[in-house]
Amino acid sequence: MLYVAKDKAATEPGDKRPSTAESTFADLLEANLERLYGYCVRLTGDPHDAEDLVQETLLRAVRARSALRDPERTKAWLFTIATNRWKDLGRARGREVTTTPLDVVDEDDRFSLFQTIAIEDPFPYSDELHLDFLRLFRDEDVQAVFATITPAFRAPLILTIIHGFACKEAAAILDIPLGTLLSRLHRGRKQLERGLWDYAVRNSLITIAGEDEP
Amino acid sequence: MIDCTEAVRRMWAYLEHALEPKPAEEFEAHLETCQRCCGELEFSQRMREMVAERSATTGVPGHLRVRLEELVRGASVGPPENKA
Repeated sequence: MLYVAKDKAATEPGDKRPSTAESTFADLLEANLERLYGYCVRLTGDPHDAEDLVQETLLRAVRARSALRDPERTKAWLFTIATNRWKDLGRARGREVTTTPLDVVDEDDRFSLFQTIAIEDPFPYSDELHLDFLRLFRDEDVQAVFATITPAFRAPLILTIIHGFACKEAAAILDIPLGTLLSRLHRGRKQLERGLWDYAVRNSLITIAGEDEP
Repeated sequence: MIDCTEAVRRMWAYLEHALEPKPAEEFEAHLETCQRCCGELEFSQRMREMVAERSATTGVPGHLRVRLEELVRGASVGPPENKA
């Protein structure tokens, strides 16, 4: 029995050439491949999980393509699919990735990277020590630090800082209220600050007094 | 008048233009009197820029790109999912 397309833009059976609408859809996906992959890498914090996630996201996108109403929103649409799948994966592994774990205490909240750099003074001869600190980090260093941030706090950071979504859009993608998003953004930021400092010390990007012993 | 702790708490939301007008005004009023928070705001902005720049490109591994392009090109010619 021949498949009868419900979607008028779909290719007629037997027609091997994709219609203009479909090649445009494929183009939209391809144009977002790199961004989507980057999102999946940071969201999962693991290259293998990221490969699975990006493939499943595209597969679902292709199947649900009629749900993409506005081509301008392709990136947000793909990121929403990836986010939902990421939540499913977390649940399947018994780790809820979008709720705030109770064991994350607020001690990071009291940590200030700005103050720590000023107090510890890792660049005694520098007159722009804060900027010198930021210059220490390469792409892979930042990626490693992101992987240490609690997933529920990591996602808002990735969406806003790295992918440029407004907070309202990021909240919609994560399906959480704006207030929750802002609170998690703050806590993610504090973990990022702590993570950058700890990473720099642990990997000897800086030497500070009293840290020489093992 | 808000204190430094509260100002720091609002800082990233301010940088995201996500504060309501009144909290934003209170934040700006605090900045006018607090050099430390001005410094931290500037540093926060630089840190965000550094993170964004260091995360701007994530090369898709060659084998994965081939698979993804096949998936996008190949599957898009078939029928959309119709859970009948």
